[in-house]
Amino acid sequence: MKKAKWKNWLLAGLLVPSLTACSTSGSGSSTAGDPEYPKKAITVVAPSGAGGGWDLTARSLTKVLGETKLVDQTMTVENKPGGGGAVYLAEYATQHKKDDYKLYVNSPPILINNLKKEGNSPYGYKDTTPLAQLTKDFGAIVVKDDSKYNSLKELMDAVKKDPKSVTAAGGSAPGSMDHLVAVLPAYKSDIDPKSVKYVSYDGGGEAIAALLGGNADYIATDASAVGEYLKAGKVKVLGISSTERLKGDLADVPTFKEEGIDADFTIWRGVFGPKEMSESAKEYWGKKLKDLNDSKEWQAELERNGWEAEFKDAEEFKSFLEDQEKQVEDLLKSLGMNK
Amino acid sequence: MGVMDFLMQGFQTAIQPQNLFFAFIGVLIGTAVGVLPGIGPMSGVALLIPVTATLTGGMEPSAAATSSIILLAGVYYGAMYGGSTTSILLNTPGESSSVVTTLDGFQMAKQGRAGAALSIAAIGSFVAGIVSIVGLALLANPLSEMALKFGPAEYFSLMLLGLAAVSGLAGSSITKAWMMTVTGLLLATVGIDAVSGVARFTYDIPVLFGGLEFLTVAVGLFALGEVFKTILHKEDDAENIAKVGRVIPSKQDFKESAAPIARGSILGFFVGVLPGAGATLASFFSYIAEKKISKTPEKFGKGAIAGVAAPESANNAASGGAMIPLLTLGIPGSGTTAILMGALIMYNIQPGPLLFSDHPDVAWGLIASMFIGNLMLLILNMPLVKVFAKIIETPPKYLLPIIIAISVFGVYAVQVTTFDLYLLIGFGLAGYLLAKNDYPLAPLVLGLVLGPMIENNMRRALTTSNGDFMVFIQHPISAIFLICSVLWILIPFLLKLKGKDVVVNVEG
Repeated sequence: MKKAKWKNWLLAGLLVPSLTACSTSGSGSSTAGDPEYPKKAITVVAPSGAGGGWDLTARSLTKVLGETKLVDQTMTVENKPGGGGAVYLAEYATQHKKDDYKLYVNSPPILINNLKKEGNSPYGYKDTTPLAQLTKDFGAIVVKDDSKYNSLKELMDAVKKDPKSVTAAGGSAPGSMDHLVAVLPAYKSDIDPKSVKYVSYDGGGEAIAALLGGNADYIATDASAVGEYLKAGKVKVLGISSTERLKGDLADVPTFKEEGIDADFTIWRGVFGPKEMSESAKEYWGKKLKDLNDSKEWQAELERNGWEAEFKDAEEFKSFLEDQEKQVEDLLKSLGMNK
Repeated sequence: MGVMDFLMQGFQTAIQPQNLFFAFIGVLIGTAVGVLPGIGPMSGVALLIPVTATLTGGMEPSAAATSSIILLAGVYYGAMYGGSTTSILLNTPGESSSVVTTLDGFQMAKQGRAGAALSIAAIGSFVAGIVSIVGLALLANPLSEMALKFGPAEYFSLMLLGLAAVSGLAGSSITKAWMMTVTGLLLATVGIDAVSGVARFTYDIPVLFGGLEFLTVAVGLFALGEVFKTILHKEDDAENIAKVGRVIPSKQDFKESAAPIARGSILGFFVGVLPGAGATLASFFSYIAEKKISKTPEKFGKGAIAGVAAPESANNAASGGAMIPLLTLGIPGSGTTAILMGALIMYNIQPGPLLFSDHPDVAWGLIASMFIGNLMLLILNMPLVKVFAKIIETPPKYLLPIIIAISVFGVYAVQVTTFDLYLLIGFGLAGYLLAKNDYPLAPLVLGLVLGPMIENNMRRALTTSNGDFMVFIQHPISAIFLICSVLWILIPFLLKLKGKDVVVNVEG
């Protein structure tokens, strides 16, 4: 009984896309789109290998949308690794710019890669249609438990006095996110960001290892990743790049602003559609992603992964991206790493 | 409570029927993942996370976490078992950590000793698995402290030692070996430099930003190179069809591989503990070390069983060692352990300094299940050896297309770009031409692995020390490695000067 049903469903799944494929390919140029969208399976692309943050976001997204029956069509995740997301973005922005059935998950690197000089991605968020921001995280400035620095201000004073004496580290290359978070407080404290001694490691885990092993004086990393080390008494967290204090393990940690540093930086994750997405598809996802955010299943999924919810709809998300783009551009300029 | 009590408790968790079942499923899938070149341990584990989440859906959170991590870890070390199969039979490394196994494993298969090679690989893996679990149970805390002491200076010197030892991979000519090493180092510079963020040799082509994928290069050089050779030298075929000899290794085989297995297990375990070094390096290091201390180094590369036993033990031990920084520090040393960590976090269990005190059931249950899983793997793998070994008797006209298909599928499944397929073919041709002219391929591959590690760690160390090179000597561990590297190169020459009859890799 169950098996037969499964088969029918499979067959339908196979037939429907192949039939509709013929009809949509011709009418794709009309931006109004099909009122019956979606009519076939939808692919969510994670521009990285399996297991990373983008991949987990894409998989959670498709899982909950399917489980809650918000989206009836099958949704699958495709991994397209390469160039820190730049490889697939180039394909997405050129070959799939009208494909309403391909969504794309990304985070601040979509801005950074487009603005930095080295390893530049010629495409950015403007070559896509931002649909919604789903989660947020923040940067954290962390030192070892026995470090002589007890506040962000003390740390920055030390950097100001002798930049050579303080080693900063992070889990990604110069000009990428950890580096920007590491120099952001310095930049806002009137220190030449170029003088900050930044050592890049291969991933946040290695950066924390360098900190614990005494090979770095402070590191910049994701706030969500440091709670356990703080609880174990291995590190001190000096500042968080959020606008308000966080809850949970990091409730006692001041924000950059509280430390007299006028800066904040949100590490968001969001969903994008193709640049020339039809109106009906835009409308569809606007509604579905909002419903997703309101569902308790999604909130539970976020909690399970240790992600913080922050929903911005297409309009808010877009204006937020414009602001962050300016911020990233300023920072990269001050580092002499802008395009 | 002492370690033993905890371990006993762990066994109580691990022998619950559902956990035995999960461990079995894990190692079974892991073996398949290891045998199929397309799926490495990393993607294998990642793809199974949602499946285990569903399987353990009805259980209470802590038990669910234990069961899933038992399954996922089973996939991880199971893949290390299976990884040797295609290396030995088809010269096609399924995982980067079994590249070096091709050197002697495939030669053994050609001589009709595929069964012995596969058996020794499985037995070596088993011993190594047990050694590394004992190490994990007894030495987790002191070793995690030691791993933290490894800063950029120490890594640089350790990798340099690896490079100095590259002559161990040379065939008849040390000059050719060095040429290939340097080529490997050069190829390793392609991509966005991790230390400065500068793009090198990318010509603004995004697909090159991430550099050349190690596995693509290795599969091209070894597997496709061999395919081209077989096609272009058809006349050799008649004599080259290998027969499967006995499956069980002979007494002599056991005698020759016992010590290499022991050494490979211990070396691999310690290299595995270091975050970022990993199973690939462990296998290379142990191979080179074996060749260096062997009384008959000339046999290596021509089907020495020690050349299979040592690296296969080492890569398995490394996967056990890699669990130490993961469990005690929450620091994943490799891509696969990073994914295991993500899986634990999904169950609200944070690996890190508090894991053993907050969730002893999960940590010790996992360790105990690894004992059981390794035993299952041995029992599972020995009968399979017979089946797999038959592959070698397939006539080339069927075997060659299969190897090409596996290579193409494998590379595409990992990289998902057609660019890597062109790269694969390119390196296949290069592999053929180089091997034909007696250029050893392994040094190139080793250069490709070591290049970025040497370079990045050197520059990290120098950034930290404000450009002072003394940093490499001031750190004692680093200084020891440097002295070893110098001795490694100098001693053969000194002995020769003293008139002793030592082969300093005579020019071919």
